[in-house]
Amino acid sequence: MRLTLFLTLLLLLTASCTNQQSSGKQLTLAVVSGVEGDALKQAARDYESQTGTHINIAEFPYTNLFEKELIDLKARTGAYDLIMLDDPWFPRFASEQFLTELTPLLERRGQSGPDSDFVATSVALCRHPYQTGPLYALPYVGNSQLFFYRKDLFEKHSLKEPATWQDVLTAARTIQEKENGIYGYVMRAAQGNAAVADFMPIFWAFGGEMFDASGKPSVNSPEGIAALEFMLQLGKYSPPGYASFNADEVGAHLLQGTAAMSINWPAWISSFADATKSKVTGKMEFSTLPAAQRPGQAEIGNWLIAIPRDSQNADAAMDFLLWATSAEQMKRSAERGNPPTRQSLFRDAELVAKYPAYPAQLRSLESSRPRPRTPYWNEIENAFGIFLSKANSGELSPTEAMNQANAEIEKILQRTQATQ
Amino acid sequence: MPKSRRFFNAPRRRSKHELLLPALFIAPALLVLLALSIYPLIYSITISLQQETASGVKWGLGNFARLVSDNFFLTAMAHTFVYAAAALTCEFLLGLGLALLLNKQIRGRGLFRASLLVPMMLPTVVVGVVWRLMLNPNFGALNGTLKQFGINTESLTWTASPRLAMLSVIAVDVWQWTPFVFLVLLAGLQAIPQEPYEAALIDGSSRWQTFWHVTLPLLKPSILIVLLLRTMDLLRVFDQIFILTEGGPGFATETISLYIYRTAFRFFDFGYAAAMSFVLLALTNVISAIYIRFLQAKEAA
Repeated sequence: MRLTLFLTLLLLLTASCTNQQSSGKQLTLAVVSGVEGDALKQAARDYESQTGTHINIAEFPYTNLFEKELIDLKARTGAYDLIMLDDPWFPRFASEQFLTELTPLLERRGQSGPDSDFVATSVALCRHPYQTGPLYALPYVGNSQLFFYRKDLFEKHSLKEPATWQDVLTAARTIQEKENGIYGYVMRAAQGNAAVADFMPIFWAFGGEMFDASGKPSVNSPEGIAALEFMLQLGKYSPPGYASFNADEVGAHLLQGTAAMSINWPAWISSFADATKSKVTGKMEFSTLPAAQRPGQAEIGNWLIAIPRDSQNADAAMDFLLWATSAEQMKRSAERGNPPTRQSLFRDAELVAKYPAYPAQLRSLESSRPRPRTPYWNEIENAFGIFLSKANSGELSPTEAMNQANAEIEKILQRTQATQ
Repeated sequence: MPKSRRFFNAPRRRSKHELLLPALFIAPALLVLLALSIYPLIYSITISLQQETASGVKWGLGNFARLVSDNFFLTAMAHTFVYAAAALTCEFLLGLGLALLLNKQIRGRGLFRASLLVPMMLPTVVVGVVWRLMLNPNFGALNGTLKQFGINTESLTWTASPRLAMLSVIAVDVWQWTPFVFLVLLAGLQAIPQEPYEAALIDGSSRWQTFWHVTLPLLKPSILIVLLLRTMDLLRVFDQIFILTEGGPGFATETISLYIYRTAFRFFDFGYAAAMSFVLLALTNVISAIYIRFLQAKEAA
């Protein structure tokens, strides 16, 4: 009888203990579906078993994630303790003061700022205003564009490595003339993100700037128009219909071996090593972007992790954030297929053996540029992309396209400034 | 006679129930309607009158004023009408022709009728994806077939050239929805009694005269239904175009629904998106009213 009572009490005690533990620490994390989010999801599971902190995961496809997060942050529901966000969304979230400033949380842990191992261009994205302001996020996935080209064809026709855009044009012409069924270059010029992402590195290299020093749009500067003219020249060596291409079509042409060069994102690299997907295994080389009047610069596209302002568990969230972005954990994320944001990992011997493009990726990331930092980037990119696509499909001349794009961007700025 | 008195009193007592019971039956439907239609409608009216600013929400007609100077909105509107007018004309003429043809006793009529309905049965998303592949300039079935006939397909970039893209999306809509027009008109034709035709035959009218004076007037109710339904569908077209071209190249096939979607879910400007939706709603109503007036007036005459 006593024994039974004792056992019951013990059972109750242990039950209440475990209960306390699990209800005490709980975090909710919003992730994107796909390889970037998967790595973080697996990390969350590891964290759970190590610390007992329960982590709920809300997973959404890319475009829905933005909607969900914006609606939630605006309504101040505090539903999420941690959010993954694509860096172009950051200015909007930060300027509306949706995010928790991280420096006080770091200082409480005896750190004065983010680890200096992070690539500078990646950390700069996490500050608002860009590069100089307070810290509101930490970088998790360190993507930046790379230049993809067929090394075998370059050697065969003894072409110079594509260091400048002029080299690229020459090589594209040579390859298309001498090879049967291979286009010299492939680009994507579908309106919206696709056209803008493929154009920005050319635009920057030619000396173009989307906004001048006073913040006025200046895409129709002589440099900007020259860059678009160059894009159209390169378009002559791109497969017909490229004005409606997106990432998939570009990937298909490269993997099938029907195009020789392209700007693309590191996520595609692993496909080229896979003989079931690729007809050009071992023939593709990855380098930094070509130069023109100015050195070549890639567009940066990092996934960041932030803590919403209305999170009730900011401290516990910060513990997880620091753990997930630590060198040890980010190495695991890298092994799962995501480029890191730490210099030490890009130089890690094991990782470089697995991902030979890492040195080029680090060079590209370190010299990369962000898309213009404005809360209205989605609208501006949409408008700019429409006119780039119009020029590439032959509807408008480069000068007309850039003039109209400039006017549209100006209109967006005026409207948003008037309502601010 | 207490029994009969009770009997006569009964209806008066039951009348309360008679009101309450139907009300109870209607209530769930009414609540659902209120929650899913009326409330969102009122809510969207209120947000269309709001413009967000840093200092708070500004009420007024600002969103509607913005429409007038928005080139994207005006162009998208024009595209929508071009698309709707072209697709409707083709679908109606083809559908009517097919209905007249397959209303006759010809061999294999059942097979023709059944196979004509296939496109309509497919989900629009599937239609979009299939056509996107078929129209692909490099690997697509269409250009592949044309090449076999020795046609140079280099410039036939169906969804990537501004001139061909609009044509392509219209053609896909015609392919998918002509069967619907055909089906409704065929049902209408079969409901026409034989007597007027016999009378026409006796009066010695030509086939054209019979069609013009007998078939067409008697088919008018079906024509009205089919035109109304198709117009409403065409004016709000979204899914096929979204998949086929996503509004491109450039802005060449952007219709108003795509632009509304973009404004709401990419730019997060729900007020402006709501304002555009109301303009579209108003225009759809005006066009519907014109149809009904026009076709019914003629019927009365």
